[in-house]
Amino acid sequence: MSWIREGELNLIEKLSANILKAGPMPKHVAFIMDGNRRYARKRQVERQEGHTQGFDKLAETLRWCLNLSIHEVTVYAFSIENFKRSKDEVDGLMELAKQKFIRLLEEQDNLEKHGVCIRVLGDLTLLPLDLQQHIARAVVATRTHNKCFLNVCFAYTSRHEIANAVGEMAWGVEQGLIKSSDVSEALLSRCLYSSNSPNPDLLIRTSGEVRLSDFLLWQTSHSCLVFQSVLWPEYSFWNLCDAILQYQLNHRPLQKARDQHREGQALQQHEADRACLADLLQHHGNGKPLDAQRRQEALLNYTASREERVQDFLGALQHKRDSFLTDLTSQAALA
Amino acid sequence: MVHVYEFMWRVLHVLLHIHRTLITLFRIRLRNWNGQLWSRAIAALLVPIALSFPKQKKLVPAPGKRVGRRYRWGADGKSLEKLPDHIGLLIAEEEPRYTDIANLVVWCMAVGISYISVYDNHGVFRRNNSRLMEEILKQQQELLGLEGSKQHSVEFLSNGTDKQDHQVLSCQSVVKVLSPDDGKLRIVQAAQELCRAVEQMEKTAKDINVTVLDSLLRESKTTPDPDLVLKFGPVESTLGFLPWHIRLTEFISLPSHVDVSYEDLFSALQHYASCEQRLGK
Repeated sequence: MSWIREGELNLIEKLSANILKAGPMPKHVAFIMDGNRRYARKRQVERQEGHTQGFDKLAETLRWCLNLSIHEVTVYAFSIENFKRSKDEVDGLMELAKQKFIRLLEEQDNLEKHGVCIRVLGDLTLLPLDLQQHIARAVVATRTHNKCFLNVCFAYTSRHEIANAVGEMAWGVEQGLIKSSDVSEALLSRCLYSSNSPNPDLLIRTSGEVRLSDFLLWQTSHSCLVFQSVLWPEYSFWNLCDAILQYQLNHRPLQKARDQHREGQALQQHEADRACLADLLQHHGNGKPLDAQRRQEALLNYTASREERVQDFLGALQHKRDSFLTDLTSQAALA
Repeated sequence: MVHVYEFMWRVLHVLLHIHRTLITLFRIRLRNWNGQLWSRAIAALLVPIALSFPKQKKLVPAPGKRVGRRYRWGADGKSLEKLPDHIGLLIAEEEPRYTDIANLVVWCMAVGISYISVYDNHGVFRRNNSRLMEEILKQQQELLGLEGSKQHSVEFLSNGTDKQDHQVLSCQSVVKVLSPDDGKLRIVQAAQELCRAVEQMEKTAKDINVTVLDSLLRESKTTPDPDLVLKFGPVESTLGFLPWHIRLTEFISLPSHVDVSYEDLFSALQHYASCEQRLGK
């Protein structure tokens, strides 16, 4: 398979993998694959060659992740900021992506056998139309696979993603599907491009830079961040093991922080529901104060109806997104 | 076989913990010794003892005098190629020491940083806002003296309500205390505001974009996003620190804020000065 290198770990690697797996393992790892151009300069080859080797390294890393039972990987392939690069470089990257997606579509049987689900996160409308169509075909073809998941962030920045999610919620309000009071942290998370994935447990950035560069800012607030100085095309199995070790050392405190945050969220939601109910009773009630039991019942009813509204809205949103992709694929079929 | 792996995993983690503890112990011991050479020798000894993995961007603080000379702080700031406009101090430790944090804030001010944010992920600083402010003012007197305190005035911003555009004078710094509520919750509140506007037909969904959201989340028109966050403590995470604002922020880790020295802060600033931001290009 061109996107996932075939092969198994050697004996020492297998031994180390088994030792690591005795501890807590990340289920979802995100990579900022930085350093392709510096690698090309170092090896004195063309920039484009650096990017190609970067892709090969991605295929190898996905193989290692599968060997380590990490079934979900998200990668930062192309940022909206990268459009600022020279036309040659941008065109080269678009061409590389197109070739890789075309190859992917040729290997559909293999993808089905391994149960690989490909998702592309970002504002696809910013890409050339033919690339959009290839992406749509790949995503639709692998939609139902569920053994492992690869999320490719293409034409993506986190701020755009968050603003888009807010825009979608506003669309829901416009359509009368939800109320503005239904907006919550949980709902926003479910409107992001990454809504079908759990938050990454581990975020790895290579090439020594120590910033997030507008990648998964919302989703990684309680993830383990590991910054490694190795350039992406030189990434090794041992670098990955090192990162996982860091994750294991941070596992308990991060779990605790995450649980605390979740509790706080639940409390806030409860308070918000209470406030909305009080508002409703004030405006539509008959003026008589409710006793504790009636109040509790009313609150449960309110929460249930809010959750139903939200489910319907999310269904409509998913339908909108699916239609966008299927429209692209039918366009591609006609062309 | 599984039990063998489990056993080896435990051994591995015990070794790593020993490694960490030894480094911390030696760091505390060596703080009182003025020998750079000595600390390098010990560090070199430790590395082969424990399993050595490629290091992350963690700074092992140099042992040095705790209180530097105040008149050199400003000059130090000017000597750096670039200084952050806005620095975040992320305390990821269980027991905050107010005096040490106050020291850090005062040093940042003295070096010339205009905006300083202090954050912890339990909201402790927010709840003890006044105590922290008092401590900062006290340390300002102590470290900068009366003259220095007059020169470097500090403005404390409380939560959200203070949206005036203040002029940043040559030696005025703004200190803000942040908690997790300033992160995701603030974004959700902005989203609710926008959705309410849509409900009341003042806006349409298509009007919502990054710029609109950013202007709602900006403290004031002049407050920049954090350029640098210094993280104190062993946990490798942002722990909910301002998710929207940290898209281009550099993160530098320091082992602890307890007994932190000016030299620790300054070497982090030197590291920051050497970072190159390509902004996508």
